Amino acid sequence: MENTVDTIIGVNVTLKGNLYNKGSIQVNGNIEGEVKSDENILVGTNASIKGPVIAKVIEVSGEIRGLVEASEKLEITPTGKIYGDINAKILIIKEGATFVGKSLMPANGADIKVPDHISEKPEEKTEPKDKENAADKMGFFTKK
Amino acid sequence: MYYYIFDLKKCRKRSQIEDIKNYLSLLGIGGEYTFTSTAYNASDLAGQGLSKGYNTIVGIGGDDVANKISTRLCGSQAAMGLIPIDASNDLQQLICVNSWKEGADNLRFRKIEEIKIGKTANGGAFLTQIQFNLSAPIEITIEFKDFLVQAKVKNLMVSNFNNQIKKIGDDFLDIVFESVRPTESAILSRISSVFSKSKAENEESLSLFRARSLRLFTNTQIPLHDSEGNVVGKTPQLIESSDENLRLIIGKMKAN
Repeated sequence: MENTVDTIIGVNVTLKGNLYNKGSIQVNGNIEGEVKSDENILVGTNASIKGPVIAKVIEVSGEIRGLVEASEKLEITPTGKIYGDINAKILIIKEGATFVGKSLMPANGADIKVPDHISEKPEEKTEPKDKENAADKMGFFTKK
Repeated sequence: MYYYIFDLKKCRKRSQIEDIKNYLSLLGIGGEYTFTSTAYNASDLAGQGLSKGYNTIVGIGGDDVANKISTRLCGSQAAMGLIPIDASNDLQQLICVNSWKEGADNLRFRKIEEIKIGKTANGGAFLTQIQFNLSAPIEITIEFKDFLVQAKVKNLMVSNFNNQIKKIGDDFLDIVFESVRPTESAILSRISSVFSKSKAENEESLSLFRARSLRLFTNTQIPLHDSEGNVVGKTPQLIESSDENLRLIIGKMKAN
């Protein structure tokens, strides 16, 4: 998964509501609501999400309680936990991972059909673009 | 056609002021020279320049004078120039100059870029960023359009332009903060600082959001500072990207 992300939710940060991002999202904190990205979502080991998670590629090292839908690839790492249904074109579950729910995979690589109960794309809140930026580069708060 | 505003807090020496005036005359871009005072700040003077019909208003000083002039010029057809003296690195990067002479040279080339500025509900403005000088961690709630974020933070910044953060769009502000880890009590924090924290651990404490507007609430009222440490407002505060553009004169070598 790419290291570049457009939105980062840090450790011990709580987000309530629906987060939609055209670019990638990295979650290390807690989210109560829907998380949706046109690119990748990385759920860190300390992260916890209660709500649907939808993206092209999703890597789960933390905990998700809700539907997980990856139009390309879903990977659950050894520390990852998913309590809910998953829907993915490519599914990788590593040894030690937890998955409690139903799994749906499209036949012959067909596109994933979005379930009706998932809300339409919310109005854009944070915007993307390709970037090599941000919080992964330390030093924002360095006093000059 | 040029209206110059000297920030006397930055231009303290008469010789420096004369040097700048002489250089501007040499370039053929002399004009009306004004000076900030207790009666008239840079924003007031910029207003006077606009009412006199000047189409280029130039601040000579740092971030404070630039921010104050930008509040008046944002949305107008007049262009804003800057001859930096003791300006922050970010402001100098924004206009792509390293010295006051380069700033003066840019005025002659008059390459204009239309940018958004950051604004606060109390009428403050910032071209680069707002910082919060936190002596101790505070609890914050940030309300965005579709969600809200709660955290206990030890560093917080709202940026319109920061050289370390690649912007994703002109009208987006970048909100960056460093949260406190759950176990990080004051004593534990001091003890743990004996051992250097891993880079990964530090990175996990950082958060980044992009938005056009946000409402910031804190458990205790704190001041908002510009890059020079001047107070531009207090919490709770609405901070947003301006609807209108500022016509800013930038360095001719600035990459688009």
